[in-house]
Amino acid sequence: MIELDLQLPRLFADGQGELRIQLSLESHSLTALYGASGAGKTTLLRLLAGLETPVVGRIVVDGDTWLDTSSKINVPVQQRSIGFVFQDSALFPNMTVRENLAYAAASPKDALIDELLQKIGLESLAYRKPDALSGGQRQRVALARALVRRPKVLLLDEPFASLDATTAQSLREVLGDLHQQFQTTTLLVTHSQEDIRQLADRKVEIERGRVKTDEDKAPEPTPMWGVITKLDRENGYLETDTMQIRLSASAPWPNDLKVGDEVSLSWKRRI
Amino acid sequence: MMNMDWAPIWLTFRLASITTVLLLLVGIPLAAWLSATKIKLKPLIEAIISMPLVLPPSVLGFYFLLAFSPNNALGQWLEKAFNLRLVFSFEGLVVASMIYSLPFMVHPIQAGLENLPPSWKEASFTLGKSRTTTLFRVLLPNSKPALLTGIVLSFAHTIGEFGLVLMIGGNLPGQTRVASIAIYDEVETLNYAAAHSYAALLLVISLVILVLVYRFNKRLTV
Repeated sequence: MIELDLQLPRLFADGQGELRIQLSLESHSLTALYGASGAGKTTLLRLLAGLETPVVGRIVVDGDTWLDTSSKINVPVQQRSIGFVFQDSALFPNMTVRENLAYAAASPKDALIDELLQKIGLESLAYRKPDALSGGQRQRVALARALVRRPKVLLLDEPFASLDATTAQSLREVLGDLHQQFQTTTLLVTHSQEDIRQLADRKVEIERGRVKTDEDKAPEPTPMWGVITKLDRENGYLETDTMQIRLSASAPWPNDLKVGDEVSLSWKRRI
Repeated sequence: MMNMDWAPIWLTFRLASITTVLLLLVGIPLAAWLSATKIKLKPLIEAIISMPLVLPPSVLGFYFLLAFSPNNALGQWLEKAFNLRLVFSFEGLVVASMIYSLPFMVHPIQAGLENLPPSWKEASFTLGKSRTTTLFRVLLPNSKPALLTGIVLSFAHTIGEFGLVLMIGGNLPGQTRVASIAIYDEVETLNYAAAHSYAALLLVISLVILVLVYRFNKRLTV
């Protein structure tokens, strides 16, 4: 669990104001922060990382206090267990892809380096310098580099912003897979509804330094089970002892589906 | 040219090399600190470092001569504590040259570091790396042209010193008689041939160094 309560005077587009944000983030969740440019989303990530310090504030991560201005605790950025992916990827040009990961890893021989290189699909480019990579490849490396330290919190500052739609989609899939595997509590700053729809458990809208809306993804519905009692392929109709399902006639049906089969129906809610 | 006294040339290059190496050791941390600090005194510190750019070398030389003189407190203390006399000695030339060439080392490195994307430094910090590790593993390796410019400018500036050396070092053969002093001395005694040998040699060597640097820098930046 991450608990934040932060206050910082800040210049907004329409003049001086104050960023004041209180949030509790469930462990292993992926929360999307969205809102207009200059609303304070990136500042929130930077405060959590320790790259900026609030005037008043408290940050507690899994019981460890990273910041408490009232008792003058301010754990330096280097000692906070974070991974930060910058919008410009911030890979080090003097190092190869593998060296970028090894620099971040606990040991240059950490097995996780090669595992992550494989997960992001860039094993073959491990000995290339970042200059030789595309924008999407660079962001994959940045993501892997941020995770190779096994951080408690992953902070992503618009990682898809400069990518074309296809590249962004493939990076989203990589991020989704890595999140599923590592279960790192993640804060994702984004402008894209697609990011929110595909990745987020929760979406928080920031406006002028305050939380404007905060919506949780509802818990996943329990799958329903039933035994098929009636099957009408032509009209796209299926009935079981527990439910009736009507699909469009063109919907793909498994060919071997027949009366008496057991089926389960599960679905995902979108936030 | 075959009969020329090579000692002033060797002394010049010895002085320039030692000064440059020591300046690197001092200049890198100073430039790194200046590129990152937000203290209010920064303009004052930058102004002090830049003073040799605007002051006549004889002014600096004059004050070094006063400060390092065995008749003054600092000079006396240096002699007592370290058995070191900085007036009319090679060591004195090194110290004076370091101060004189400090802006030529600090400015390019500071500018090089300030031009790097701030996210590189921040990314290194978020990966748990200290300021020192970040400086030596990330920032400096990506500022090679700036480092090279600092090294060459400091080296070349030290080779070209005259007024400062004359004030604090005088003209002691093998000790403080560097090439620029030797040229002046030979002209004074109307020995134009010897002066020309030193002058032409300095001219050619300086040109070669600069051409090599520009070629190398082009390779680094292209």
